[in-house]
Amino acid sequence: MAGVKHIVVCKTKEDVEPAKKLAQDQGGEITNTYSIFPGFDVVMPKDSVTTFADSKHIESVEVDGERSLNIHKQNRLVSKRYLSFARHPSPSAHKWSHPPSSTTIADDDVANLANQPLHALSLADLVEHGRPPLSTDALFSSANFTLSLLPIRLAHRIQALRNLPFIVVSNPNISKIYNNYLHSLSTLLPYTSKTISNLEDEIRFTAVLTELVETHSQTIPTLARGFLECRKYISPDDVTRFLDEHLRARIGTRLIAEQHIALHVSSQPHQDPQTSQTAYDNPSYIGVIDTALQPASIVNSCGNFVSEICELKYGVRPTWIIDGEPSTTFAYVPVHLEYIITELLKNAFRATVESGRSHEPIVITIAAEPESPRGGPSSVDRRRAIEKDLGEGADENAIKPFEDSAPGVTIRIRDRGGGISPEVLPNIWSYSFTTFSDADELPGQTPGSGGTDALNVISGAGGGEGSSIAGLGYGLPLGRAYAEYFGGGIAVQSLFGWGSDVYLRLKGLGKLKD
Amino acid sequence: MVFGRSLTETRLISSANYVRTELPTRLAHRIRDMQTLPYVVVTNPHISQVYELYYKAFESLRRVREINTLDDNERFCKKISETLQEHLTVIPKLAMGVIECRDLMKAEDMDKFMNTILRSRISRRVIAEQHLALTETFNSPWHFPDSPTTTGASHEFVGEVFLKCNAKEVVERCGEEVRALASVAYGPSTSLPSIKLSGHLDATFPYILSHLEYIIGELLRNSIQATVEKQKMGGTASALPPIEVTICEAPQHVIIRVSDQGGGIPREILPYLWAFSKGPRSNERLENLHHVPKMAATLQEVRVSQDLPESHPTSTGNSSATRHLHDTSLSSLSSRPPNLRLGMGLPLGRVYAEYWAGSLEVHSLEGYGVDAFLQISKLGNKNEQLTMRASMDAV
Repeated sequence: MAGVKHIVVCKTKEDVEPAKKLAQDQGGEITNTYSIFPGFDVVMPKDSVTTFADSKHIESVEVDGERSLNIHKQNRLVSKRYLSFARHPSPSAHKWSHPPSSTTIADDDVANLANQPLHALSLADLVEHGRPPLSTDALFSSANFTLSLLPIRLAHRIQALRNLPFIVVSNPNISKIYNNYLHSLSTLLPYTSKTISNLEDEIRFTAVLTELVETHSQTIPTLARGFLECRKYISPDDVTRFLDEHLRARIGTRLIAEQHIALHVSSQPHQDPQTSQTAYDNPSYIGVIDTALQPASIVNSCGNFVSEICELKYGVRPTWIIDGEPSTTFAYVPVHLEYIITELLKNAFRATVESGRSHEPIVITIAAEPESPRGGPSSVDRRRAIEKDLGEGADENAIKPFEDSAPGVTIRIRDRGGGISPEVLPNIWSYSFTTFSDADELPGQTPGSGGTDALNVISGAGGGEGSSIAGLGYGLPLGRAYAEYFGGGIAVQSLFGWGSDVYLRLKGLGKLKD
Repeated sequence: MVFGRSLTETRLISSANYVRTELPTRLAHRIRDMQTLPYVVVTNPHISQVYELYYKAFESLRRVREINTLDDNERFCKKISETLQEHLTVIPKLAMGVIECRDLMKAEDMDKFMNTILRSRISRRVIAEQHLALTETFNSPWHFPDSPTTTGASHEFVGEVFLKCNAKEVVERCGEEVRALASVAYGPSTSLPSIKLSGHLDATFPYILSHLEYIIGELLRNSIQATVEKQKMGGTASALPPIEVTICEAPQHVIIRVSDQGGGIPREILPYLWAFSKGPRSNERLENLHHVPKMAATLQEVRVSQDLPESHPTSTGNSSATRHLHDTSLSSLSSRPPNLRLGMGLPLGRVYAEYWAGSLEVHSLEGYGVDAFLQISKLGNKNEQLTMRASMDAV
């Protein structure tokens, strides 16, 4: 019979049956039920008026086009997308080619933004608006600068997500993240057509930024869970490649947003004379950057934190010694350093305790690169040396430090925890859910599984990344992403049977040219 | 008794024939490699000398007829040991040639060529020296008490075999040697850092001693030099921080970590750390390479007395004396004075380490010091396995 085929997507699996009944009551014939997502095909009589799209069980309803043409197109597009995963082609104009979403953004907007190149960010950009407290004009300049960067970055991420295999983005977790990005972009779009030139707009804009940061704070655990559930449908290499790019981009996006928020809070128009939180409390801070950060104090505070957890869980409190040059300071983003150090200390402390050597202190050496003397090698040589040093890790996503020759800091964490076994060693840099086998249980799903490990439930600094990494273990790859973002890196050397040495190289952000 | 003797003789002869065909084949491959290098590179005097040496060796060895008797073998061994002796200078010559030609070829290609030729060299020398050792064992007095002692030329060049090395002893011995050389070079008034050992001090593993001594010697040398020179620049009179050597033993491997506080590796040197074609310091290196004692003869002047290893499979008075006179291609390098910086210790050390399925890695804490990690694989040490390894490598 002649009818119009509709593809109905339901909210959850439980909604499928009631939705089907509803469609049948309105004269429809169910022709197919999907298993990869909760939904079904229904053929409605021609010229019928349907109201089931408003049902609470139903996520969305789409009208299927010409049958034969569509199937081929759909297949071609899906396979083309999968193959050209790395290239991010522009989204097609067909509505059905997008994963189901609750926000509608004009495709044109996303396409336009995603086609624009990513700005090569330098830290000088972030601080060029001045030292806090910023004047009103400087605040506007910072807001507009942020506005010029963020929508493009979000659009690129949306593009990347759209190019993942269909089956992967259909996963509820991944889909949630995708929707978050769409939502965030939709909140920013109204501002792109104008410049921020009055305080009300600026305040609203900053509130939007705050919401953005908050919404995306759980991205990593959610993505991790999603990819874990989809491990049958996408290769670990593809996951690693996607995540490497995505997480590095995320670091930059958050940095830009958080920098403006911090500058806003400490700016002249917004200083609350009643609170003591003025910029003068932290004269060394420029937004989220502390120009006089002392790594030793971060080590001590993170160490206290992690050893507390150890005491709770193991009943033992590992100790540590800081040697080298503990009084070293340099310019860096404190929350980043806190995250990295917490992860590395978690590894070191756990290994130490579990190997029964908790009485041996962990030795943390802080080494400051000497300032290079004038008349040293030419800047060309130095740049070449640095590029080679960074190797393949350096990419467009990395922020260039204030000066290329800015002295850095190397932190070595040496433990006697028995080292990493040769079987595990090749996998330490994978997002470890890529090394789960099909037979493995998902952590946290069975009571008493590895997910209840206290050390994994630590909420790390830096936007709550650590809060529910229940057994998913990607402190190392993520820590390395942070370190490499500013041109540093992490290297791990295992002495199996003895202990491990971890080298954290950090590129300083140098001196701000006033 | 008679049966035992002829069985070993058969083995010896078959080993000789194996060597007889393997060496020219491998030499030929390397000669071909050199022939395809750019003309301007091979006409460099040092590279051209190496080329001549290889060609001469090839011509001489390929003419050897099939070996059927012990006398044939004696002649063959004499020929091999002469060749081995002549080729002692290949490494410094190649290094000089590579530095002089650094603008004539791409650095990666040059490094690749060097790595291939050095690895192949290890395999050829090991094959040859194993056979010489086999011959010497066969000929040595205790084996056949009735036979007259043969004083063939093979006695002048005793082959190298895998010895059971005790990590602690090797490190201590190398440490003593390097410190002795350093104090000669820097003067007796300069204080030198001490070397502190920790970890699994009983670890033992089979290795070719001269290779191990070279690698560890270079690492200790780097550490001592860096520590002393940092002290000099800093001008403080405080005690020198010791060099900490940690030995870690696991079922499959032994790792030796050498940690110093010598100030780390300057950033401009870092990209060239593992390259044979050097960067900013090329000219100095070149100059120094000219001073490397080339001939075995001059060695006696420079070398400080060498202690003998305690465990030697055929330890008789005879062989310990011959061991003392024995020169390996690495020994001229190992005993050079410390101010002779060649820039080769790390890349060459890595070639040796990786040849025996190990690794050499370095981490620098700029401004503080350097950690070097030598990983040694504990594989079998039987002769047969060795030959198999060498042929598996087939370089």
